[in-house]
Amino acid sequence: MTRVVLHDLMLSLLLPAGLWSGSFGAAGGVREPAAGLASQSHVTIANFQFQPTSLTVHAGDTVVWENKDIVPHSVTDSRNAFDSGPIAPGSSWSLKTTAAGTYQYVCTLHPNMQATLIVK
Amino acid sequence: MRVRGLIILVLATAITAMQPAAMGQAQGPTDPQIVGIVLAANQIDIDAGKAAVAQAHDPQVKAFAQQMITDHSALQHSVMELGAKLHVTPEASATADSLKSDAAKTAAHLRDMSGAAYDKAYIDNEVAYHQAVIDAVTKVLIPNAKNVELKDALNGAAPAFVGHLEHAKRIQSSLH
Repeated sequence: MTRVVLHDLMLSLLLPAGLWSGSFGAAGGVREPAAGLASQSHVTIANFQFQPTSLTVHAGDTVVWENKDIVPHSVTDSRNAFDSGPIAPGSSWSLKTTAAGTYQYVCTLHPNMQATLIVK
Repeated sequence: MRVRGLIILVLATAITAMQPAAMGQAQGPTDPQIVGIVLAANQIDIDAGKAAVAQAHDPQVKAFAQQMITDHSALQHSVMELGAKLHVTPEASATADSLKSDAAKTAAHLRDMSGAAYDKAYIDNEVAYHQAVIDAVTKVLIPNAKNVELKDALNGAAPAFVGHLEHAKRIQSSLH
């Protein structure tokens, strides 16, 4: 319980106000990380590219996509596990991972923008 | 068929104007001319997109056209901001003038088309146009840009043009 509160406190401190967020994975969601303290990883969207193009995290971790580009982009799983919708320039979208797997995602607005999220 | 031939002819002329040999005057374009060429190229695709949003038949072609308006308007805005910041006033050039003139001819011919024929002609145009822009940006504009920030901005914009080209090619293959 302490760990959940701490985790939520960390998120509230780390995530900017108004941040778009989502979750996916096991039904009902899992708030407690599978092992250890959950961490936060970042993917930058700039110059019509996701950086890094491949990111590996642990289930329970949060991934934040920051759109530093001049146009909206989306973070959309090819099998519909998650979809950010359009992320405006200067905005972010976060995802709390829950289910292990390899997720190929694209920007639906610019289908050539492709990257991979691996959840272990 | 005659109309399509004319579009290809006009497009070929426009593309020729964007080619390194045509653009690479004796000393290459200056920074003010480069900004002028980029603004012209962006505006051409914004205008083409606006026409296609109204005239296209296929929903994915319409969506692509809207995306071109959004993206190239944003690019246009950032180029204008950068030009103001660097105190680079866009200058006319034979290349920019040629691009505008050829784009006007292409637009005039596209206006007479409709339905699937229009969709195909518009997307064919977008594929060829973006390829020409990529070649021009990478082979002429970037190598000739003197200001480091302008050069960086051109390098940063290149992936957008590549993305648009790939997107247009996907739609092109689905229409054929």
